[in-house]
Amino acid sequence: MRISKSFSARLSATILLVTSILFITAIMVVSYYSHKLIAEEAIKSASNVLYTTTIDINKTLDRVESTVNNMQWIIEEHLDDTTYLYHITTEIVASNEEIVGSTIAFIPEFFKGKHYFSPYSCNDENDSIIVKQLGNDKYNYFEMEWFDVPFKTKEPHWSNPYFDEGGGQVMMTTYSLPLTDKQGNIFAILTADISLEWLTQKISSLHPYENSFTFLLCKDGYYITGDQPNKAMKYDAETQNKTHNEYEQLGKRMIAGDSGTLQIGDYNAFAVYGPLYNGWSTAIISPYKDVFARLMRMNLIIIVVSSIGLFLLFFACFRTIRKLTQPITEFTVAALNMAKGNFQARLPKIHSQDEMLQLYNSFDYMQKSLTHYVQELRSTTKENERMESELNIARQIQLSMVPTNFPNNEKYDIHATLQPAREVGGDFYDFLVVDDVIFFVIGDVSGKGVPAALVMSITRAAFRFLGGLGLSIDKMIEKINGTLCTRNETNMFVTLFAGKIDLKTGLLSYCNAGHNPLIICHADGNAEYLHAKPNIAVGVFDGVPFNPEQIQLEKGSRLILYTDGVTEAEDRDKKQYGEQQLLDFAQNIEKNESAEELISSLMTDVKSFTKDAEQNDDITVLTITLKQE
Amino acid sequence: MKTTISQNGKKYNVVLTGRIDTTTAAQFEQDMKPLMDIENGDITIDCADLEYTSSQGLRTFLTLQKKVMTHNGQLVLTNMQAQVKEVFDITGFSNIIKIV
Repeated sequence: MRISKSFSARLSATILLVTSILFITAIMVVSYYSHKLIAEEAIKSASNVLYTTTIDINKTLDRVESTVNNMQWIIEEHLDDTTYLYHITTEIVASNEEIVGSTIAFIPEFFKGKHYFSPYSCNDENDSIIVKQLGNDKYNYFEMEWFDVPFKTKEPHWSNPYFDEGGGQVMMTTYSLPLTDKQGNIFAILTADISLEWLTQKISSLHPYENSFTFLLCKDGYYITGDQPNKAMKYDAETQNKTHNEYEQLGKRMIAGDSGTLQIGDYNAFAVYGPLYNGWSTAIISPYKDVFARLMRMNLIIIVVSSIGLFLLFFACFRTIRKLTQPITEFTVAALNMAKGNFQARLPKIHSQDEMLQLYNSFDYMQKSLTHYVQELRSTTKENERMESELNIARQIQLSMVPTNFPNNEKYDIHATLQPAREVGGDFYDFLVVDDVIFFVIGDVSGKGVPAALVMSITRAAFRFLGGLGLSIDKMIEKINGTLCTRNETNMFVTLFAGKIDLKTGLLSYCNAGHNPLIICHADGNAEYLHAKPNIAVGVFDGVPFNPEQIQLEKGSRLILYTDGVTEAEDRDKKQYGEQQLLDFAQNIEKNESAEELISSLMTDVKSFTKDAEQNDDITVLTITLKQE
Repeated sequence: MKTTISQNGKKYNVVLTGRIDTTTAAQFEQDMKPLMDIENGDITIDCADLEYTSSQGLRTFLTLQKKVMTHNGQLVLTNMQAQVKEVFDITGFSNIIKIV
């Protein structure tokens, strides 16, 4: 059996197919919703990170501003002590670790003779604080943004990032607070520098996803800081300029101080952005590839695990079904064996209480019934064979009861035939010659088969016995009638035609007891029926008289006696051979034909009429020819 | 072979149709069974459609005739076709069974 075509394989494959479809559908649905959910969650989480960081940065900036703002009045109180002013800037740098430098930049000539005066403190490489006076001709701080802008606007100001060559020697941004006297005139700008390294670090730590990048923009769109700005450009290249518009839009919104989310490209990335406390804006751009990386990995794992699972399921199904259907294979073998005649073919053992058990029960029942039936058939066949053989013996006996040695001498020629329709029949003939007298009889017992044969044998024995007693024909028949009527419960009767021919005189004495008329073929070849006076058949009523008749036969005439099996022989269309056809046959008998030849040609004639139709009655013919001397 | 029996008091009308031969004789005998034990029965058998009877059929007619006689009844066969009548004549049954 090829596995690919087996029941178990097909069923397993179907189960596998259905399960796979369900699995794939489930994975797709789950994946779709996870995708959506994760995208939403990613934005939420990025927003949270941004928010937290914003708060963190705001706090720092706020602390820086507070530190600076809190020094305002101290400075105002110590304007007379320029040395103390250095102390103040040092205090500012020391008090706040984010502040790397601080100065109080006075307007020209605030102190007499001092065009530039700006006490300055900053951290050096060894983290100790050094102080110096910042302003000189080379470092004209009046023109610098951190002084110029707040001086003009009279508002605190965060500067754009710059590299401070004269001061901290690092990239920095500066918070400037204008100091005013009682008349509202600015007399100095108090600053605190923040290293952008710190902000960069802070910003760079914002990594919701592996390839996210973050950046800060100041109010006028100046790029303050961000981790690996080249990454952004690289990312830009990847998205093939599609993102230009979105970045432009993002920049515009950030400068405007909005907060929100922006999709970049065709679901390539998303940006969350929001303003900082001081008007700057920060944004985190996260590629979706990273966002869904874990989902993809999870899906991959699910697919791999499911595939293995389905594979195992297939094998489990295949094995289980094969095991469950194994009995069917065995039933098939058993059925084939039974078909070959082995009714004891072993059936598979069934332990389950299911359809298989029903199948087993049916099979078992069939096996037992068949065994029983075949046994019965065998015994019936045996019985039939026995009966057939007995009937064959009976046929032999019956055929041996009628004479088969036919005399053919110079005076007469006798011949006869008896062909029972079944094994045995009710027709008979007989003759005996006693002292130049030929006794003859032909009879037909009603019905056929064994009952008829039994009556036939009685009749024939009676004839044999009575024939030798020298009785007249009518007396002989009366006696046969008496014999048959005794205890004839079944009303079996016999039609018979009996006669005797005195060979010396040619006188035929006869009596017809309900039988067909005989045919006389005269010496001149003319033939005719000899219609005798009708007598009732033998065995019908006891004691009825039978009328004898006589006719003189000339030498050379023939007698043809027959039973109705001849005249009523039928062809397939139930057409009968008939008396006329028999008479025609008799008319055409060759003169020198022997009795045996006559019977043989009559049988051929009847046979050529009935053709292949089944013989439905016993056929008997007896013919006697008186020879011409 | 078909046998139809209708009863009207003690009068029984039987209509025979078809052939009484080797295959139908037993059935015919079975069909006639109910008529065998009627006291003073007046049985008429219409043989107009009876085409043929074998010797076994004759035996059943004979049995019926004897039974009817025992039970003081009457049996008449009517409308018999020529070839059937001939069988009754040859066997002498015409002499013991009333045929009109």
